[in-house]
Amino acid sequence: MAKNGDKVTVRSVSGKTYEYIWKDTPSSGAMKDVYFSPDKSYVVAFFKDPQDANAIDRLQNLVGTYRQGIFGGPGGDYWKKIYCWPTDIVREGNKVAIIVPAYHKEFFFTYGSKTLDIKSGEKEGKWFTNPWHRYCNLDAREVGDWHSYFDICLLLARGVRRMHMAGLAHSDLSYKNVLVDPVSHSAAIIDIDGLVVPGKYPLDVTGTPDFIAPEVYATMHLPKSDPNRKLPNGNTDLHALAVLIYMYLLCRHPLEGKKIWDVEDEQHDKTLAFGEKAVFIEDPTNKINRYNVDWVRNNQPKSRLPYMLPWMDLDKLPYTILGPYLKDLFDRAFIQGLHNPSMRPKAFEWEDGLIQTMDLMIPCQNPNCKQKWFVFDNSASNPKCPFCGTPYKIPLPVLNLYNKANTSYKPTGMRVMVYNGTRLYQWHANPRVARNEKLTGEQKKSLACFQFHQGKWYLRNERAKGMTDLQTKQSIPAGSIVELKDGVQIRLDDENSRMIYVQMVNK
Amino acid sequence: MRRLPVYLLVDVSGSMHGEPIESVKNGLQLLVAALRKDPQALETAYLSVITFGSSAQQIVPLTELSAFNMPEISAGGCTVLGEALQLVCKCRENEVTKTTAEQKGDWRPMVFILTDGVPTDDPQPGIDKFRSMKWGASVSCAAGPGADKALLDKITPECVVELASADQSTLSAFFKWVTASIVSTSKSINESGTSTGSMDQLPPPPPEVQIV
Ligand SMILES: Nc1ncnc2c1ncn2[C@@H]1O[C@H](COP(=O)(O)OP(=O)(O)OP(=O)(O)O)[C@@H](O)[C@H]1O
Repeated sequence: MAKNGDKVTVRSVSGKTYEYIWKDTPSSGAMKDVYFSPDKSYVVAFFKDPQDANAIDRLQNLVGTYRQGIFGGPGGDYWKKIYCWPTDIVREGNKVAIIVPAYHKEFFFTYGSKTLDIKSGEKEGKWFTNPWHRYCNLDAREVGDWHSYFDICLLLARGVRRMHMAGLAHSDLSYKNVLVDPVSHSAAIIDIDGLVVPGKYPLDVTGTPDFIAPEVYATMHLPKSDPNRKLPNGNTDLHALAVLIYMYLLCRHPLEGKKIWDVEDEQHDKTLAFGEKAVFIEDPTNKINRYNVDWVRNNQPKSRLPYMLPWMDLDKLPYTILGPYLKDLFDRAFIQGLHNPSMRPKAFEWEDGLIQTMDLMIPCQNPNCKQKWFVFDNSASNPKCPFCGTPYKIPLPVLNLYNKANTSYKPTGMRVMVYNGTRLYQWHANPRVARNEKLTGEQKKSLACFQFHQGKWYLRNERAKGMTDLQTKQSIPAGSIVELKDGVQIRLDDENSRMIYVQMVNK
Repeated sequence: MRRLPVYLLVDVSGSMHGEPIESVKNGLQLLVAALRKDPQALETAYLSVITFGSSAQQIVPLTELSAFNMPEISAGGCTVLGEALQLVCKCRENEVTKTTAEQKGDWRPMVFILTDGVPTDDPQPGIDKFRSMKWGASVSCAAGPGADKALLDKITPECVVELASADQSTLSAFFKWVTASIVSTSKSINESGTSTGSMDQLPPPPPEVQIV
């Protein structure tokens, strides 16, 4: 029998050797006991229960074909940041283990909390979705600002999109199975060994309560063999993804509202509220589940109210503060698609919506604002930060993007807000370039930046070759600047590139 | 927010004096420390401690984990288990929020009972009262050979566990298991979708803790 600290060597099915340090009390979850390699670069995770042939086959597919498909191609390394993907399988007698890269170091707390002993603990997603945790229990240096969570959501959406592209479903996406770091704006999807692989029986999981899709909840009482029983799949992932994004951005649960369905039995109440009867708390046409501030006061512990209330005040921080793109996606996820899985937005749509929304974000002018960013609201005459109420006091150029269409230009519906620090990139100028993992180093360099000087806004061309003022027909060579005024039309790059139409608001 | 109330009923009769009671205190301290590190438990679990010796006392009212202070616990006297059961029912009536149309009530409380002996009062009225209410996952623990397992089985027929002795390492294993049970319940509340099947959500106990 191994002793604490002993080095154990194991050989994988493919013939590679791995080492781990024995511990009498390893890190452990519901299903696995986890041991670290001597250099802590990977872990050996033993399943507590024996795995049958189907399970081993499924794992083999994951570490083999599917891993190769995602990581093997050009740019495959990109995904190493986003997934903690098992790399190999070990069999020891009747025990099966997987080799998994260790979580990256940014996913362990540096400061943790001023009151709790969680320094070096894992930055499990749950710490950041409950505002009491985020703004009371965690050290302020751990929580980033509002922009951090948009970036995190973008990475999660991207991670889910890539998985779905490969035909895989995660099946248990939740704040337990993602690690996030608001400080470095990173996120990673973990617990990949539970993925649903086409043609293989899925794992016996129903998921994590807050993220289980309504159709799964509603049929959970049926036996697994019943054809009406709904099991986790790509569409249930899309529900979980929408819930995750809503929770990271708004610190509240989209379905956890005021309506009580069963006064006698709390468990049954939740099963109905998240299943068969689920209603979006902000559904504009069905307000049955919507709560107000008084209800929140009555339903949250007093000591937590200062942290919960700003976020749970649905009148002050409605989901429309996320801007038109995300509002539209949430309507599809939580109204049209809530009980109609095929209507839910796909992961790539969340990606696009988040990217377009980030272009609408401007920095709050209050240096003490905790959120530091907000989404510009086109319909408000006096833009102000929804979190701290500080008005935005300087002129705000809005760049409307137009696509070249034969000899004229057509609106794309995309907009970019200009603040000190806004940059335009290839993916703004060139309709064939998308902001995703395929960007080359060259494409990641900005084309233009903006400066506010003595009350006026200027665009500075950094490297675009064919930038032109379309009204004066004058070229704007790299290195030169041009003032932004109402109505100015600038072609961003070559003949086929997009045009920006400048609109000055908040003058 | 629905809270997850957890009541710990601890025998503080004379026989618990010394190593057993020190181990209980130690175990409780570790339990609170571990639960505070878990964001889900920290959010929902609320803890109360009731001791029973010559009398039953709620020495810590239902308190959120972040505000929990370690109580003084000392052992001596007899074992009024029946009174303790009456008390936990009364505390529940006062402390646990009932669901109404306007308010989400708490989850059903979890109850852990730890005793090393035989009750010195008549436990039956307490048992009757306790059994007349619906509880979440509840466990009684016979700490050492002196406890009356048949009686404990009447209190929590869903689960009685047994420790070979009430020493430091065994009690510490028991408290670890209680901790893991609270964590897993706080995570999986409502997973089964039923109100009774909550016992199978508890993690398997360590070898020191035998299911009776
Ligand atoms: N790749 C890893 N790097 C570092 N630590 C890890 C890694 N994988 C697992 N661990 C640690 O081991 C613990 C258990 O692992 P994991 O959550 O994967 O097991 P599980 O049994 O599948 O758990 P769950 O209950 O979430 O299904 C984790 O909480 C974590 O602390």
